[in-house]
Amino acid sequence: MNRLLMLTASAYRSKAVQVMQQTFQLLFPVILLGSSAEVLKFVFLTASGYVATIFNVTHWLPFDRELSVLMGTIYHCTLGMAGLYGAYGVSYFTVKVYRRQSSPSAGLIGLLAFLMIAFQPRGGGRIAFNPSLMTEGLLVGMLVGYVCGRILCAFKNRRTDLWETMWRLTLIFALAVSVNLLISELRRAGSLSVLAISGPTSTSGDSLSFVLMMGALTELLSWIGIGGPFTASPTFTDPASIANLNHALKAGSPWNVPHPYTDTTLFHSFANFGGNGVMLALMIAILIFSKRANSRTVTKWSIFPALFNSHYAMMVGIPVLFNPIFLLPFTLVPVINMTIAAMLLALHWLPAAVYPVPAGTPGPLIAFLGTNGNWISLLLGIGLIALDVLMYAPFIKLAESVQKSAGELK
Amino acid sequence: MTWQKKHWLVALISVVMVVAVIVVSLQWSRKNVSQLAQRHNSTIVPLIMIPGSSATENRFDSLVKALNVNRRNPHSLLKIRVAKSDQLTFSGQIRPRDHAPIVVVGFENNHDGYSNIKNQARQFNIAFKALNERLSFSRFEVVGHSNGGLIFTVFLEKDYAQYAPEIQVTKLMTIGSPFNFNERNINNKTQMLSDFIKNRKKLPTNLNVYSVAGTQNYTSDGIVPLTSVMASRYIFQGQVKHFTTMTVSGSDAQHSDLPQNHQIVNLINHYMLTAKRRHLVQPNEPELH
Repeated sequence: MNRLLMLTASAYRSKAVQVMQQTFQLLFPVILLGSSAEVLKFVFLTASGYVATIFNVTHWLPFDRELSVLMGTIYHCTLGMAGLYGAYGVSYFTVKVYRRQSSPSAGLIGLLAFLMIAFQPRGGGRIAFNPSLMTEGLLVGMLVGYVCGRILCAFKNRRTDLWETMWRLTLIFALAVSVNLLISELRRAGSLSVLAISGPTSTSGDSLSFVLMMGALTELLSWIGIGGPFTASPTFTDPASIANLNHALKAGSPWNVPHPYTDTTLFHSFANFGGNGVMLALMIAILIFSKRANSRTVTKWSIFPALFNSHYAMMVGIPVLFNPIFLLPFTLVPVINMTIAAMLLALHWLPAAVYPVPAGTPGPLIAFLGTNGNWISLLLGIGLIALDVLMYAPFIKLAESVQKSAGELK
Repeated sequence: MTWQKKHWLVALISVVMVVAVIVVSLQWSRKNVSQLAQRHNSTIVPLIMIPGSSATENRFDSLVKALNVNRRNPHSLLKIRVAKSDQLTFSGQIRPRDHAPIVVVGFENNHDGYSNIKNQARQFNIAFKALNERLSFSRFEVVGHSNGGLIFTVFLEKDYAQYAPEIQVTKLMTIGSPFNFNERNINNKTQMLSDFIKNRKKLPTNLNVYSVAGTQNYTSDGIVPLTSVMASRYIFQGQVKHFTTMTVSGSDAQHSDLPQNHQIVNLINHYMLTAKRRHLVQPNEPELH
């Protein structure tokens, strides 16, 4: 066990991990801002959002449209382009860590390479970029940045030599353009969906094992910064949800619906509190158990977006993204939640969440409102959070002892 | 000490806010769900048409065409043919999100006579059950031409009771239906009319009935005497919610022409097919991701 700890600690000291951590530190404020703006726009200022629906915000707030446009701009330019900043940060810090000297042009080159990959030619002189790469492309962006950084490091650094600089740039950009062509070729062939970078799509399926597997897959993909098969918010537009809703409206109650096990009734109702991986439980666990001041500060700042199921700030702030220590609880805790909820649904202790809830409804309230106020659902949600906090606690302690061994505890 | 006080204060404020949010959300949810249920219950309102004797399920094709003239979203037409063996054959289809489709139920055995009308009513019940399994509606309207009106009246007084609370029939229009067959004198009540009057208490009380008669002269539409059509008042008047009689005359007022009569097409457009259009459940978008 101790050897494993030392091994992890030494991995923590590795250069790639250092690059990642420094990049996440750079990204955190940007992501936090974007995540908060996203919540303000879609939950507070859009008529179908939770707060807007409950408190009728769009009716009495002056300039709500203008505010919404403003928040939309902030969101699209920050969280909506996370891949861009990932490429910049990783490229810059790769050169810095591997070379031990900072080179401002490295970040710029990484960013340019990513833009070249995401660029999509359009008619009429309009500029367009691959939308799924921009929003879901943090992983791709960081890979691009890493490759750029390593290529830049591979050459001897003679700054004065313009010839050499141009030669490096040409190589990187030629690579980027070929990746761009490859992606458009794959897109044309329709095989891009296999790579799962085509963004989140709502999936409907109602067999229990299918929902559990898709839930686990969503968490896994979310852990590497890609949207999984389940969307962050329940959509209520898939056939199973509509059948459930029709049944409930006809019968006048959400009991005995035809499809009790769907992404809405299990994943969104009981496994997505605060975003993927039951982020709310991780945050409470950190506030209770963590001794690391930095983690506590990050968590406090991330509370606001996480209340409305936007978990991105925590993903890069702690970080959870690409962090092997959190991989296990991040994928397993939601599956445990779904299993417990499915058992209670099967025993008819719980009705299924069938009524549509507004976008951004706080996680524990989705089941409560989705059943039109079933108190057992609310209590189960609270109970599950408490259980999840306990499950996360040892991993937080593990993460901190690893960081301590790695000599990074500040 | 102050650190602890601060924490207690934060906890207290959070709890109060959480409770307030839960209460407000619950109020919203209750209101929302009752609205959804209301809308749902008025979603699909089929208009069921029953042709008279010697006619098939294709009897109303030209009537439906006339009803759909200049309509941006035309009523779709589904036809059910009931064979002598009670077997059902569906033809035509219902457009998704058509909230007022027209369903014609025709009978292979389309002969006249009270015993056959009772048999057709039994067969109509079979078709109705199958239709409701397909469409799962909670409200419907009926147009019956000639014997079609009689068949449906038998159904209303006999089999309808088993559906009564869940599925409501709101409107019935009978066109030239001979409630007293060919008898001109109302004092000579046929067996059928006597049965109708005997069982009239079983008719739903929230039904609107329009009894339309055609007239070629002052007493008849060429086949059915006016008094026989007007005998419907002894069945419906005072029992259903509203009972209206109307007489049309002029061109196409002969008994068999009535379904193509312009005035009657207008009457159907005006009195039937007026169920409010459903508002779509607002899909939950845009999505957070």
